Amino acid sequence: MEEKNGATSKAGDWRSYERVLLPPVRDLHRLEVYEQNGGYEALREVLTSDKWDPTSVTNEVRNSGLRGRGGAGFLTGLKWTFMPPVDPNIPRFLCGNGDESEPGTFKDRQLMEFNPHLIFEGMLIASYAMSITTSYLYVRGEFADWISLMEVELAKAYEKGYVGKNVLGTDFSTDLVIHKGAGAYICGEESSLMISLEGERPYPRAKPPFPAQRGLWNYPTTINNVETLACVPLIINRGGEWFADLGSHRHPGPVLYGISGHVNRPGVYEYPTGMLITDLIYDVAKGMRGSKKLKAVVPGGSSTPILRADQIDGVTMDAETLRDAGSMMGTAGMLIMDEDTDIVSWLRRVTRFYHHESCGQCTPCREGTGWIENIVTRIDEGAGNLRDLDLLIDLCFQMEGRTVCALADAAAWPVRFTIERFRDEFEARCRPSLVPSGGVLTPALGP
Amino acid sequence: MTDFIKDPVILMPERHPEPVFSTEELVFTAEETRQIATWVSQYPTADGAIMKVLWMAQEKFGFLPPEVIRLSAGALGMPYARAFGVATFYTQYFKSKKGRYVLDVCTCFSCQICGGYDMLHYLEEKLGAHAGETTDDGLFTIQEVECLGACGSAPMLQITNGPYVMNLTEEKIDALIDALKRDQLPFFSSVTLPQDEDDLGGNRRTDVRDTLTYSAPPVAKTLG
Ligand SMILES: Cc1cc2nc3c(=O)[nH]c(=O)nc-3n(C[C@H](O)[C@H](O)[C@H](O)COP(=O)(O)O)c2cc1C
Ligand code: SF4
Ligand code: FES
Repeated sequence: MEEKNGATSKAGDWRSYERVLLPPVRDLHRLEVYEQNGGYEALREVLTSDKWDPTSVTNEVRNSGLRGRGGAGFLTGLKWTFMPPVDPNIPRFLCGNGDESEPGTFKDRQLMEFNPHLIFEGMLIASYAMSITTSYLYVRGEFADWISLMEVELAKAYEKGYVGKNVLGTDFSTDLVIHKGAGAYICGEESSLMISLEGERPYPRAKPPFPAQRGLWNYPTTINNVETLACVPLIINRGGEWFADLGSHRHPGPVLYGISGHVNRPGVYEYPTGMLITDLIYDVAKGMRGSKKLKAVVPGGSSTPILRADQIDGVTMDAETLRDAGSMMGTAGMLIMDEDTDIVSWLRRVTRFYHHESCGQCTPCREGTGWIENIVTRIDEGAGNLRDLDLLIDLCFQMEGRTVCALADAAAWPVRFTIERFRDEFEARCRPSLVPSGGVLTPALGP
Repeated sequence: MTDFIKDPVILMPERHPEPVFSTEELVFTAEETRQIATWVSQYPTADGAIMKVLWMAQEKFGFLPPEVIRLSAGALGMPYARAFGVATFYTQYFKSKKGRYVLDVCTCFSCQICGGYDMLHYLEEKLGAHAGETTDDGLFTIQEVECLGACGSAPMLQITNGPYVMNLTEEKIDALIDALKRDQLPFFSSVTLPQDEDDLGGNRRTDVRDTLTYSAPPVAKTLG
């Protein structure tokens, strides 16, 4: 076990934590079992009890302090209040974001497999809170098997009257449609996802206007990650206060941590926010594979800045702490790398991902991701010059905040921070450039 | 006069590309048309159903040459150009003919540092084809793909947009190729949650044949 420097976890007594997103119930994915375990009670309560109306549901979510689990960590209740006042002539939509394409992230897939009804119920309650009559669950096309499994369960929910016309005999009607993507990382970005749903080439569009003003088919729309939506029935059942008390104060609730890389026991684990990274590696995931030394951690998917082993002491998994430590919470899909990892080669593959996934709309992103890949490749192959490192940092600067969507930023951050934090390894791979080589960057850009 | 501009702007190909499918083949059956109508009813505009129609067309025809995209667009009354823009954007829609089985090996992020390239290169050597190529017998196409959302089970691959095969080893690839040559696709496998192994003594699903546990990934021999 590693030294913890006396730092304390914000997750309290996490060893005796009882799971709520994925409680230990056999066959919970089946509607019958879900019902036996209090499933759809939150929906029933919200629709039939006098205690609840759309405003009080939204307020409860607001009071819970729930923040989005899709990457940006925006306050969910607050996002819901951005929807304009109801006008019966104007349709409104909800999107559940199950695109899960951020490298290092694999928790939504397991939630969709093991507790799909919790996602459906969350979407239905959110629909009620925002008076939405159609919601779409957008799932990445590669999850074909999981989509088929969810279709079966959704059909059962329709049959039982939890979805569709006059839900549970009330005058609230709403539809839920599962939409299958076809392999494009950018479709996880909210505007791209909506345009993909509309049946157009999914180029993201500039914001503002935000989805709440102009979303699907230009109508008011809210979009949330599926794990975010799965928290909603829990908040209704147990109260916003219970949720707010779980884990880190300013970023509360249960979280699915997806741990991958060089650990003995990778996997998806449910614990409160605010877990120490060291606890997650050395206790939860049973330590480093082969007792190797830790080299680096990427805390929340490929876009979040990498942390060196000496930067994680006392760092907990919540937005504030990670920001202070120089990274982000992202999707809580953590990649753990041991001392043998070649960071330069690793970064090269990361840059290739973003080059491949750039939609090509904005020049800084389309060209920048390509040139970054070329230059990092050149360095990895031992043909780079020292000043290439500064060139890369400058390229990142030219991309960040200058494009339609945040993919360009997501592509620049790993480069900027990996070079900053592992500069010695990059320099060791470069040729010293005391004399200007006069060389030009020769590799041709991809399409 | 037709030669007032001396240089042609662009050299045109000599012939219109031959369609792969004949007009007799290019139809949706009554049942498929009914299915399309159901999908159309799920969206405010018919265009919303294009991705589902393209998926169905790809199942039926194997890939999406221009005439199949045109057929799909026609079924929804949407402009062909727009459907073309959709079909050509996504990696899972095949624009050209592929092998009978497409093996998408993940070499991204977590898989890379857990031996994704070892598996890719092993497969390439075994089948005698490079990533992006199809074997001479038309059985297998190998592709290198980005993160498939199964990073904890790295290295892994996906077969023709369908089943996932996780925790790859050379032996597992050998067995897989043998099975696929006999047209036996692997079953859906559920990956257990480590906490379920502790709390439930194993997988929580009783309705799946194959379950996998998370385990320490192999040591990568090559990173790139
Ligand atoms: C390039 C890019 C890719 C994204 N991919 C995903 C994704 O796969 N899944 C997801 O839930 N959110 C993704 N997001 C974030 C969404 O745009 C959006 O913020 C999120 O779905 C909102 O849900 P939340 O508030 O519940 O987190 C992505 C964002 C960007 C910029
Ligand atoms: S930033 Fe990149 S991915 Fe986003 S719209 Fe521009 S080109 Fe497309
Ligand atoms: S990196 Fe291979 S599945 Fe995520």
